[in-house]
Amino acid sequence: MAERPRVYKTEGVILKRRNIGEADTIFTVLSEREGKFDAVARGVRKARSRMRGHLEPLTRSRLMLAQGRSLDVFTQAETVDPYRNVREDLERTAVALSCVELVDRFTIEHAEAGAIYHLLVALLEALDEGLQATVSRHFELDLLAAAGYELQLGACTLCGGRLPAEETLLAPAAGGLVCANCRPVAGEGRLVSVAVIKVLRHARSVEIREFGALRMPPEVEAELRAALGAVVRYHLDRELNVPRYLRDVEALPG
Amino acid sequence: MAGGQGGTPEPITRLIEAFHRLPGVGPKSAQRLAYHILRVPEQEAAALATAIVDVKQRIKLCSRCLNITESDPCAICTDARRDQSVICVVEQPLDILAIERTGFRGLYHVLHGVLNPMEGIGPEDLRLRELVVRLKEEVTEVIMATNPSLEGEATAMYVQRLAGPLGVRVTRLARGLPSGADLEYTDDVTLSRAFEGRQEI
Ligand SMILES: [Zn+2]
Ligand SMILES: [Zn+2]
Repeated sequence: MAERPRVYKTEGVILKRRNIGEADTIFTVLSEREGKFDAVARGVRKARSRMRGHLEPLTRSRLMLAQGRSLDVFTQAETVDPYRNVREDLERTAVALSCVELVDRFTIEHAEAGAIYHLLVALLEALDEGLQATVSRHFELDLLAAAGYELQLGACTLCGGRLPAEETLLAPAAGGLVCANCRPVAGEGRLVSVAVIKVLRHARSVEIREFGALRMPPEVEAELRAALGAVVRYHLDRELNVPRYLRDVEALPG
Repeated sequence: MAGGQGGTPEPITRLIEAFHRLPGVGPKSAQRLAYHILRVPEQEAAALATAIVDVKQRIKLCSRCLNITESDPCAICTDARRDQSVICVVEQPLDILAIERTGFRGLYHVLHGVLNPMEGIGPEDLRLRELVVRLKEEVTEVIMATNPSLEGEATAMYVQRLAGPLGVRVTRLARGLPSGADLEYTDDVTLSRAFEGRQEI
């Protein structure tokens, strides 16, 4: 195995943090080249820490690290984009965190995750630019694909047969939409409306920004969210934390 | 750490484990502390044990502001000279000590945490319900003194949304450069906030 350099630079998005000891924090980073990894920032909770503001969750930063005995250690951090419009908006922060939680759960440490990194950056940029929160649906579809669970939305996932324009089963175990004939062997799933199928196909054919410009009726948005939520949960072993918080935030007045 | 391993008597192992569970205490420090206790005079060890038990038995949370106190309501809540119309909201009881040093003479409310959605800490895990009850009383201003972290900011925004419909003014401590900070190493968000909060000299 090639020896890793003692000191290295990378660019990444801070996913989460965990305080240890008096003044240290372990950060989980998703980087373009190193994938997801944990590293420790010593003394970062002291008021005069030079790195503190550059290592906030949801921040994209240029990082310099030194190899440590168990964990690598941050030696420098410099913000590339703090996504301030996201951080200063309660809903946007919640939506961004729900995507970050998915990234955390769909990636494994030190595995290649360049594609997922670019998806996350595109999502944060879209939210920062003020596009609708529904961009997170586009992100979920892309993330599923990047993690190897791309939904088949064109023809029947099982027999390849044509799908008539009607309510159709979306079956995560089968890997996508399933025709009426194949339903008995498709495993668990939920019926989705023609409108949702159209939106799903549209999402796969356009970029996140274009998708963010699409206005859909609230009931279609709710159904789309529930349908994708079910697919995501099917592929994860534990319940997610952020969706519940997102619902709390959405229920707030004003 | 398994009990009684390597010939260590069980009571020592138990003490090491207890120290190890404290925040910021690693296995080595836990061991050092336990062996230190072993060497101190018995009455000193007993005083430590009593102090720990006393804290748990005599200290409770103030039913109004949720600060730690021996009497309920606490000395701050019952002090008639303090401004009853202003509540400063903090994350932890320790934050009150820091704010008292600034000369603030209103009331407090301790949330006992901040929103941390990734860790599953939501609004129902903070003492927000108690705060909303107080906001319906004679309060006219809430000062959010949560940390300027992602979690602290989210918590402040959340309270602002709860308080808004009640007609209570919500303010936030100014965020900017800590004294001794170095501009070159300051992150953009802190720096732009410092600019927004600039003052005439
Ligand atoms: Zn079929
Ligand atoms: Zn009190």
